[in-house]
Amino acid sequence: MNKPLDARIPAGPIGEKWKKFKADMKLVNPANKRKHTVIVVGSGLAGSSASASLAEQGYQVKNFCISDSPRRAHSIAAQGGINAAKNYMNDGDSIYRLFYDTVKGGDYRSREANVHRLAEVSVDIIDQSVAAGVPFAREYGGELANRSFGGTQVSRTFYARGQTGQQLLIGAYQAMMKQVDDGGVQLHTFRELLDLVIVDGKARGIIVRNLLTGEIERHVADAVILATGGYGRVFFLSTNAYNSNATAIWRAHKRGALFGNPCFTQIHPTCIPQSGENQSKLTLMSESLRNDGRVWVPKKKEDCKKDPREIAEEDRDYYLERRYPAFGNLVPRDVASRAAKQVTDEGRGVGESELAVYLDFRDAIKRVGESTIREKYGNLFDIYREITDENPYEVPMRIYPAVHYTMGGLWVDYHLMSNIPGLFVLGEANFSDHGANRLGASALMQGLADGYFVAPFTVTNYIASTKMDPVKTDAPEFVSAESDTRKRLERIMTLGKKGCETAKNGGASRTVMEIYRELGKIMWEYVGMERTEAGLKTAIGRIQKLRAEFNSGFQLVLPDEGKARTQLLEVALRVEDFIELGELMAIDALERRESCGGHFRVESQDDGEAKRDDVNFAFVSAWEYSGDPSKPILNKEQLVFEHVHPTTRSYK
Amino acid sequence: MSNHAKSTKTSSKNMTVKLKVWRQKDAKTEGKFENYSLDGVSASMSFLEMMDLLNEDLTKKGIAPVEFQSDCREGICGTCSCFINGQAHGPERGAATCQVYMRKFAEGETIVIEPWRAAAFPIIRDLVIDRSPFDRIIAAGGYTGAKTGPHADANSILVPKPDADKAMDAAACIGCGACVAACPNSSASLFTSAKITHLAMLPQGHPLRERRVLRMVEQMDKEGFGHCTNIGECQSACPKEIKIDFIAQMRREYLAAVVNQRPESKSGGSG
Amino acid sequence: MKTNFASSTLGRKFVMAITGLLLVGFLVAHLSGNFLLYQKEGSLFNAYAQKLASFGVLLYAAEVGLVAFFGFHAYNGIRLAFLKQRAKPVKYAVTQSKAGNSKWGLASNNMMVTGSVLLVFIVLHVIHFKYGRGLAEGYAVQVNNEEARDLHRLVVEEFKKPLITVLYTAVMVMLGFHLRHGIWSAFQTLGLTKENNSNKIYFVGGVLGVFLGFGFLTIPLYIYFFV
Repeated sequence: MNKPLDARIPAGPIGEKWKKFKADMKLVNPANKRKHTVIVVGSGLAGSSASASLAEQGYQVKNFCISDSPRRAHSIAAQGGINAAKNYMNDGDSIYRLFYDTVKGGDYRSREANVHRLAEVSVDIIDQSVAAGVPFAREYGGELANRSFGGTQVSRTFYARGQTGQQLLIGAYQAMMKQVDDGGVQLHTFRELLDLVIVDGKARGIIVRNLLTGEIERHVADAVILATGGYGRVFFLSTNAYNSNATAIWRAHKRGALFGNPCFTQIHPTCIPQSGENQSKLTLMSESLRNDGRVWVPKKKEDCKKDPREIAEEDRDYYLERRYPAFGNLVPRDVASRAAKQVTDEGRGVGESELAVYLDFRDAIKRVGESTIREKYGNLFDIYREITDENPYEVPMRIYPAVHYTMGGLWVDYHLMSNIPGLFVLGEANFSDHGANRLGASALMQGLADGYFVAPFTVTNYIASTKMDPVKTDAPEFVSAESDTRKRLERIMTLGKKGCETAKNGGASRTVMEIYRELGKIMWEYVGMERTEAGLKTAIGRIQKLRAEFNSGFQLVLPDEGKARTQLLEVALRVEDFIELGELMAIDALERRESCGGHFRVESQDDGEAKRDDVNFAFVSAWEYSGDPSKPILNKEQLVFEHVHPTTRSYK
Repeated sequence: MSNHAKSTKTSSKNMTVKLKVWRQKDAKTEGKFENYSLDGVSASMSFLEMMDLLNEDLTKKGIAPVEFQSDCREGICGTCSCFINGQAHGPERGAATCQVYMRKFAEGETIVIEPWRAAAFPIIRDLVIDRSPFDRIIAAGGYTGAKTGPHADANSILVPKPDADKAMDAAACIGCGACVAACPNSSASLFTSAKITHLAMLPQGHPLRERRVLRMVEQMDKEGFGHCTNIGECQSACPKEIKIDFIAQMRREYLAAVVNQRPESKSGGSG
Repeated sequence: MKTNFASSTLGRKFVMAITGLLLVGFLVAHLSGNFLLYQKEGSLFNAYAQKLASFGVLLYAAEVGLVAFFGFHAYNGIRLAFLKQRAKPVKYAVTQSKAGNSKWGLASNNMMVTGSVLLVFIVLHVIHFKYGRGLAEGYAVQVNNEEARDLHRLVVEEFKKPLITVLYTAVMVMLGFHLRHGIWSAFQTLGLTKENNSNKIYFVGGVLGVFLGFGFLTIPLYIYFFV
């Protein structure tokens, strides 16, 4: 391709662009809307809210999710909160400040116009959610409560105990279920997208597999929305859910959609450290804990194995407060994570694995009392205790960074449409708003902004302004996409049987989970918190070797030839995609010879702080699939900063 | 997680457990228990990680892995659903299956694992069940009806903190179905009442209040759930510790709605 | 919208609760009368029986009402038992309570068993005493200078039989269990419980239930051993 990418940003001042778009957009006559079908894949914040909103407008919506119910989507696990520039606390917040903080927080690798729109609609999200009955925390006077979050100096985060994501998702899910009842949304649960169907250069449908019967189905539409979340599970261990995967976006990528900034991964600083080899996921402790907890490690290595309560004040190194006096424990996630890695690399890590730092509530409990702390964080403390068998009211928590979010995703323009016309990508699945680092409480904001307030307009504009011929599921494009999918399934199942045969005959063959775990280890080791040229090259080599191993067979038992629910077959299909995506991430990280946000290249630093290279790398890497996963083609979208001028991002 | 005063049964590094697991091909085929013995289980492993390990072990032996449901593995998505040693979500109160750790079990212990059992939740395979009735109960009325679009400023609706807190207590439901599983009658009253209470406590929920309770209760019955006999096992089984006081509230709401019933015009209303 | 209150599970449970509480009211009155049996001579009890009989049509109406309540209660109970079977056709291999705030126990889990026993018992009980031996069989006594049925004699004679006493005692234990859960359950079903009174109602309901069961139970034992 290699032609310049057009982000289709409306002209005009930053604050007028979205208004101008809405004023100029093409509309679909209300009576005609029901003649159009929109496919929405995914039922998280973005998927549910988009499904509900489009169905309310009159479109026929088909929603697909991999779980038994749309309410299981992983948005539900977000704990901390959702940002909005309401300025209810009267602390100087504004749309502009939220915009500014987000661009700066993203280390100047996001698109200004998108971020400004996000900040604008943030206030509508709160109004919408309250109208939908989301039980946000309130003050005694009945008004909504706010708290502060990492990377900002205002309190603009709305929350519902430690279950904000759950409550917002349930709000959107309920609105969607109303549309299911009203006939506007057709729900397809237990379905996984295995291919995108393109007719006449436009996205016109999908191929899905029924996860209970193994049946392959074709679904046709006038537009396809992917809201399938992030790809953090490429690291195997992450805070993402077991079933979170990259297959939908990766299949779209292989059909031509560009992949934006794949290497931008967020490592969250406050997770419960790994405890064993069989661990399947890492549990996040909400960032809100950093409001009251103090992060430290012992100054002396020999103190690391001591009972932390016995380490004297002067022997403790509150390294975040020391290095970043202005933000202290509330520095953004990438900064906090890297600092934790640095102190553990120095040999000052604590706990059995020595891969942990303390998050201590002793002083907060002394200041405000245990009952206040219990009221604020009780459920988080309980979770911690349940997992570690330690009481955080008495002993400091041990925390360590873990993969949490992927800022990268399919490339989209201002309309949230990919380079494939009619393919829209919302929420974490796209690359657009968070640059190289996402600020806390911004993921929920983006998911709902995209689904409630952006896509319903841009999809309408697309349908109204695009000439589309009627297409049926027996079109040759559908037939060939289905046959490709069937061939792929056959191949995977054959590989599974082959691996079992090999093992039975005493040969070496691993299970698909073992291969997956190894991919995770490679990714964490070389494409994790710190990346070096040599490391990334090693990673690429090892991933290629792993792909070869995968393609030579793995152990997978198929009781009913894939005709019944077989979860490990689902995993195998996803792992194949993760292996290819993992390589692309390493290639992207290698190509980006600068440090920015969550992407830290050891070669590009200033005394431990990330050193950006705006002259050479102020662009979005939009990778194109070439047919060979090892040889992707790089396209660039140059980023222009007219309002927030890139400076060294300092939280000191 | 209220019963912390517990007892760590096991601290040893590795243990062996005996598993008695329900295996069933599909809803129509009869199922039966299979016995497995699993080594290399550590106390810090979660119950589901133990199940992962079992499936690795079975795969290597050429046996079909046990199908079970899980997703977030941190107790919030409501996907996991094992009936462990006679208890929904196992021995831990206020926890989902994924939040149960193997330190709760003893070396050599036999662990009986069954799917949720209720006529309304047919078994799909092994421990996997169909909980779509819950979605249909919500679709029948578990919403405020607010459409996407401009709304009054969020702070123009004041909600007293106790009401907001109670709404949140009820809204904490994760829809896992443990209440139905634990109930001797397979009643979905706790689930249904939690949503009714959540929306009844907020002014935004009031316009559809009566219609909501009437329709949701009707749907609940239609799905084949049993009646509530106030045994209250559901509230002990609930991973979010939702209280049966909400069931009492549902009944008040229902009675009031029946008494106040107004004819619904065919053309009007929001659906 | 149209609702089928009476056939909904909530509606059926309302019927159970209302009829149940009315029957509890009857039991309170019944037991108060029965306490007169503690007078060994029996004159008070016979006078009380005579007084009731003197209400004539009113008593008849009350009895019809009582039978109706009882019938509704039993009929709905049986309907719900079938529903239970339909809603949970396959039972678990193992079950145990998670304790905590659960009301799971002998009383709550066996309402159908205790209820069925009470249903059979009450029919027999009415035949036994109400339609048992009377004036025709020479069980006569003078009350306020009028000839009346000597019900006291019948009661004493019957409760001197060990089998009858044992049976009555056993059934009254079941009654206690039935009420231990039933009274609280009725309040909960009617939506009369709230966060702040739920535990109290459970406690008071339990005490009242056990008191009623125990109260009825003491009488045959008293007669057997002390009259």
